[in-house]
Amino acid sequence: MGATAEQYLRQLDTGRRPDLPETTAGTLRLDVRDDGSTDHWYLTIADQHVQVTRSAEDAELVVRADRAVFDRAVFDRMVRGELHPGAGLLRNEVTVHGNVQLLMLLRRIFSGPDGARHPRELGRAALAGRTAPAGGAVSAGRAVTTARGGRP
Amino acid sequence: MHVIAGNIFAITDAQGDIEPDPQLPVGLFAYDTRFLSHWVLRIDGERTNALSRDDLTYFETRFFLVPGTASHYIDADVSIIRHRSVHDCFHENITVLNHSSQPAEYTVRLEMASDFTDIVEVGQVRQRAVEVAADPARQQLVLRYQRERFIRETTVCSTVPADVDEQGMTFRIRIPPEGRWETDLHVTVTMGGEEGRDLRADLQSHQHALRTGMDEDLSRWLDRAPQLVAERAGLEELYQGSLADLAALRYQPFSYRERVPIGGLPWAMGLFGRDSIITCLQTMAFTPELAPSTLRMLALVQGGQLDDWLEEEPGKILAHLRYGETGAFRERTSALYYGAADTTPLFVVLLDEYERWSGDADLVRELRHPARMALDWIDEYGDLTGDGYVRYQRRNERYGAVNQSWKNSPDAIVDAHGRQPAFPRATCELQGYAYDAKRRGARLAREFWGDLAYADRLEREAAALKERFNRDFWLPHRGYYALALDPYGEPVDALASNMGHLLWSGIVADDRAEAVAEHLVGPRLFSGWGVRTFATGQRTYNPVGAHLGAVWPSDNAVIAAGLRRYRLDAQAARIAAGVFDMTLTLGGEVPEVIAGYERSLTTYPVQLATSCRPQAWSSGSLLMLLATVLGLRPTGDNLLVDPAVPEGFGRLELLDIPGRWGHSDAYARDRSTERRHRLR
Repeated sequence: MGATAEQYLRQLDTGRRPDLPETTAGTLRLDVRDDGSTDHWYLTIADQHVQVTRSAEDAELVVRADRAVFDRAVFDRMVRGELHPGAGLLRNEVTVHGNVQLLMLLRRIFSGPDGARHPRELGRAALAGRTAPAGGAVSAGRAVTTARGGRP
Repeated sequence: MHVIAGNIFAITDAQGDIEPDPQLPVGLFAYDTRFLSHWVLRIDGERTNALSRDDLTYFETRFFLVPGTASHYIDADVSIIRHRSVHDCFHENITVLNHSSQPAEYTVRLEMASDFTDIVEVGQVRQRAVEVAADPARQQLVLRYQRERFIRETTVCSTVPADVDEQGMTFRIRIPPEGRWETDLHVTVTMGGEEGRDLRADLQSHQHALRTGMDEDLSRWLDRAPQLVAERAGLEELYQGSLADLAALRYQPFSYRERVPIGGLPWAMGLFGRDSIITCLQTMAFTPELAPSTLRMLALVQGGQLDDWLEEEPGKILAHLRYGETGAFRERTSALYYGAADTTPLFVVLLDEYERWSGDADLVRELRHPARMALDWIDEYGDLTGDGYVRYQRRNERYGAVNQSWKNSPDAIVDAHGRQPAFPRATCELQGYAYDAKRRGARLAREFWGDLAYADRLEREAAALKERFNRDFWLPHRGYYALALDPYGEPVDALASNMGHLLWSGIVADDRAEAVAEHLVGPRLFSGWGVRTFATGQRTYNPVGAHLGAVWPSDNAVIAAGLRRYRLDAQAARIAAGVFDMTLTLGGEVPEVIAGYERSLTTYPVQLATSCRPQAWSSGSLLMLLATVLGLRPTGDNLLVDPAVPEGFGRLELLDIPGRWGHSDAYARDRSTERRHRLR
């Protein structure tokens, strides 16, 4: 079990974040709703830094979610990388108002999912297990055969 | 029969009716979801029969119908016109004409239903509980599907009174002699957002969308493109048709304010990184506006984390974006999917190419960070075994793409004996793309980012890659490049079209280019219509195998451009002539892919059952071939024209080519007409 959204945002690294584009700046407000009350987290992004404050002021993008949807904590899963912000939007667990281009920044500000592998791990495993049989796996992910075979 | 407006489209039968088909995506689709799966017109209980159809534009069609079926013809004092169009919603005007001198009464019935199937699940049975609400007072029918908070809703509304029930609408009408009756049906699609509003309503990117007419939009698009004047019959129409296809295949993603190219009908009606980038590269001389929106959109959704399910890595460029239910809930696919090893280097190639044509230095500076992340990806995440080659192996073992370059069918990468190499695989064209990306990245770093040390580093890396590649991939006894290397560095010895892309990327050693070209236009690879994906005489060669023998115009356009890069003009002209012949023989509609049969055997291009159209990179390939035979190339602030036109084309003029030079014209003739002119 990783951090909750609250713990994550409280402890967010205030240093430089080289994975944020230096040309991107904006304000994002995260509204966590819970039984009639709402927690606001205000993120100011500029010069590859993110500042977190508690404020209900207007922001260029407001991202709203209930604390939990069907017993699944929305922002908690998002800060742990288990729920991609884009998927949250499509599932309507997250709603957004304003400049949605800023939404994707959350993917970089939050963590990635636990246990994800670096592609090199697969490369190392292949070299270590030279005797392993050649991969002939067949994609099962398509409903209909199209000319473009692998299109999932 | 289809009407298209970006990723909203309807596919129907010849009468304009929609009935579920187990295999084909028939229906009204928007954002990867089917919003109408049943839409059938009846007059007095009878189905209709089409007399003719008038495809006005890609987004508008008219059906001329009479009651009854072709084998069961009913004396027709009545006829029906269905006039439909699609833009952000779907409209159908139904006009019933009474041709008799007596007043007539009819019962007009339109059956309506939706199964809200995700397009990736067409052909699979999943019962969804659809709520239906008939609202006779407002003359509307609402179909609604909800899963947790995911809501998709279809609303059908009539402009004239109707008896609305849960299966459709009935109109009991009386038409005077020689008179008419009509109704307009509006079908709106809603993707549930906050408080039941469409989720697009709260996005700034979609509030600025200009609601201008589709007609004006199309005519402006055609006006902005250069004008082609061609002596060869059919070529101008082919060109106009390709431009119209490209206009149809644009859409506005949720998170972006401009339109980007989508893959094609019907399976890829969304953003596919590879298709979009290739289409932009193909159409640079014609519709350059596609490139900046594609680059910005792909930068926006560039990978930021390691994620096995999404096959995401920091800096990686998207494979596809899906809006359907299965993506949202991580079943079968994901909304954002990154399983592609070619998109990331090609992103850098596109940024540099766009600047060369447009002179848009601001965009290069704006996108420095994503371009740098993409370049870093090549070495950090693309090189899986540490030998300096870009490789792929899927981490989503359930649904991930097995092969992650353009030949993405599971069995596409095999050696001459049909054996599949182990993973991770380094296919040859990926090394070409990486080489090209580094060289172009170096130019951008030097000229725009002020980072000379980085530019030098990239150039050194590119030179080393080229040298290493020409050592490890070259098969000296065969005289061509291996299709791939397995993880242990063993070459996969199949003869395939992939090496044509190597010419396009410039990684081929000069003294080997001619040998490569001779294979590409030789009897084993060249069918007469184009270069086969996989050469004959190899164990798994199959003329109807999509990537094991079939011929793709998109592949051929890249190959022809590569041949001209190495001044192999005769070979390039041969391929261009073959693809133009193929398309003109098919009546001017460029196919996605045709079988690899010998041209002399079939004399007609045989389309694969799975071939679909329109496809953006197929339509784009005709434009790329035109640019290639004209030899269009930006040099500094000028457009260089260096034609090598295939025999029989006669005069060829392309007027008002947009670019950093303003607008420029290109004039060319084939060599036979040149000779004729000299003799005079």
